Amino acid sequence: MKQKLFFTSLVLFAALTWLIMIPTALAAEPIVIGVPTSLGFLEGKEAHKAVQMAVSEINANGGVNVAGMKRPLKVVAADLRDAAPGVPVPEALLGLEKIILEKKPTAILVGPFRSEALIAGMDIIAKYRTPMLGTIAMSPGSEKKLKQNPEKYKYIFRTCLNAVHLVKYLAGNMALINKQFGFNKVYIMHQDVAWARATAGFVKKMYFDKAGWQVLGMEAYPTGTSDFSSALMKARAKGAQVIMPIFDMPQSGILVKQWKAMRIPALMAGFISPLAGSDAWKIFGGKIGGAMNSIFELGSAIGSSRVPQSVAFINKYKRVYKKSLQAGHGPAPAYESVYILAEAIERAGSLDPDAIVAEIEKTNRVGVMGRVRYDQGHQAIFGSDPQQTAVGVVFQWTEDGKRKIVFPQSVAEAKIQLPPGLKSLK
Amino acid sequence: MFLGTIVYALVNSVILALMAIGFNLTFGISGVANFAYGALYIFSAYASWMLMNLLHIPYLPAAVISILLTTLLGALMYRFVLLRIRGQVLSEVIATFGIGLAILELFRYLGFVGFEYTLPVFIDRSFFIAGTYVDMQRIIIVIAGVLIVVALWIFTHHTAVGLAFRGIAQDERTALSLGIDSDWIATLSVSFGAGLAALAATIIIPLGSISPGEGYDVLIKALAVCIIGGLGSTGGVIVASFIIGFAERFTDSYIGSHWTMIVSLAAILIVLIVKPSGLFGKQKELEERI
Repeated sequence: MKQKLFFTSLVLFAALTWLIMIPTALAAEPIVIGVPTSLGFLEGKEAHKAVQMAVSEINANGGVNVAGMKRPLKVVAADLRDAAPGVPVPEALLGLEKIILEKKPTAILVGPFRSEALIAGMDIIAKYRTPMLGTIAMSPGSEKKLKQNPEKYKYIFRTCLNAVHLVKYLAGNMALINKQFGFNKVYIMHQDVAWARATAGFVKKMYFDKAGWQVLGMEAYPTGTSDFSSALMKARAKGAQVIMPIFDMPQSGILVKQWKAMRIPALMAGFISPLAGSDAWKIFGGKIGGAMNSIFELGSAIGSSRVPQSVAFINKYKRVYKKSLQAGHGPAPAYESVYILAEAIERAGSLDPDAIVAEIEKTNRVGVMGRVRYDQGHQAIFGSDPQQTAVGVVFQWTEDGKRKIVFPQSVAEAKIQLPPGLKSLK
Repeated sequence: MFLGTIVYALVNSVILALMAIGFNLTFGISGVANFAYGALYIFSAYASWMLMNLLHIPYLPAAVISILLTTLLGALMYRFVLLRIRGQVLSEVIATFGIGLAILELFRYLGFVGFEYTLPVFIDRSFFIAGTYVDMQRIIIVIAGVLIVVALWIFTHHTAVGLAFRGIAQDERTALSLGIDSDWIATLSVSFGAGLAALAATIIIPLGSISPGEGYDVLIKALAVCIIGGLGSTGGVIVASFIIGFAERFTDSYIGSHWTMIVSLAAILIVLIVKPSGLFGKQKELEERI
């Protein structure tokens, strides 16, 4: 009888303890993550969703362990609108400061869309000592500023590709085109914004000029431009074999449609954001076959079977949101940034910003984009081997509407195909 | 290359004329500077997109429905807002700009931003003209532009409503004494202007994409064309469209793409300095003389 009573008491005690513990765990104060970015733009919208997805996964596993206490993550977002033409940087900065002051986030993810806003916003982030893992703005100007005063700006990290690494991918792809077809005449067309100007200038200076290519023209287009016929006619008249576009505005898809409609006998190889996702084929009526496009981070809009995490991420996103990822820049690093932050908090055992920053600096994580580590400028290191670094890729649209990765070699699944009317010189 | 530039400059000019002609019609008749014009253009495009993609209606009926809806919206805008402030120029500008802002920002707020918002081309072919390939949609734009101008001329010169339009435009009080209801004609003018904006969107948008920002661009372009041509003058709109259209494409081809906007703005400034009423702005010119 006594034994039965003992066991009954034990079961009751266990049940009571469980009932008490669960609400305590659920009631643990959440760790607030701020997502201030251009939520109305594709990259910002999908990066925000990727953050929410990662947060749901972490919370489903009990949350983040902070010095022995599991705490859930909570996402608060703010639309900075800085990607929209005509929105001044000070307006975006007001939004950034507002979310920091009102929501008091432990860290900020994704961050400003335009580099102009990020560079100006670094002082606000430093002032409030809020770690930030940026996943969209790309100008290396932020790293330069950080290196000038590392103690002040140490809170700023970038998990996505920057313009310097993009230059390496574009140059690498051009070297492949040169090697495969013998082409060496290029026409550059870019958007007139900081990151695109920097990228176009760097590719010319660091690759084309050194490798003996002829740069037949370099055109800068204001955001919102929707007619590219003049430059395309010039490219044809001057005998360009390759057109290198660098754009992230919605209207830039028109360039490829015009390239196709005007039957310009040149390979279109660069970055046009509307071309990244699988839906582009339908949106542009199948008029994009042959165009080559860069994906800034593996896992954003395209995955590779060589990095199974990237495929799993893309599939899960589609399952959760009932829509495929379309942004070739932003979602994968946004997703990874949540895990990088969570792991840094767990290692630091506190929410102290300096302790978190010290741990983020030590990041060495293999995930959706490959291996993520940060350099001294707090920029994620990108390369060509996903086992060693994070990777970006270049793919080509086939004439039957498929996307095939062609660069870098470590994840390539097809060879580059030339458009009609353009013959190899080899 | 030179001939090719002329071809694309011609297309660009017709696009500008199509974008401005509705704004000009409304101002020329009712004197209302409809600053919601760009928003109505975008409203029509989004309406077509929604009818096609959400209700799965084919493009042609979807376009007709959205043009009619936009025309109706223009009429409602006049009857419920502009009628009460008619004649107060500043109030009209503020009210129409506010309505336009509300429409465009509502679409932005609802998430209508992205690459997927576009309309299909009518015929998917290209033709080799003057040493360059031109797609069929651009040829259709030129043909439609000519037809719309001719139809507008016939309408204003050979129909009762069109003659009433001209009567109000020439002298509203005299027109009233002849039994023409100026409020009704003004309603029709705002409504027809909105309809022309919708028609322009139906023909032009397939070349590009739909975005709230495009609404502001269309308004600025319409204003630029009307300022250079002279507010209220259809002939002025056509001439100004050709001046800006050719200046833009030739600057793009022979100077540099980043100078395109500067050349257009410079053209506006020069015209304003030399002839503040615009090239064909007769009414203002009379006031200036006095």
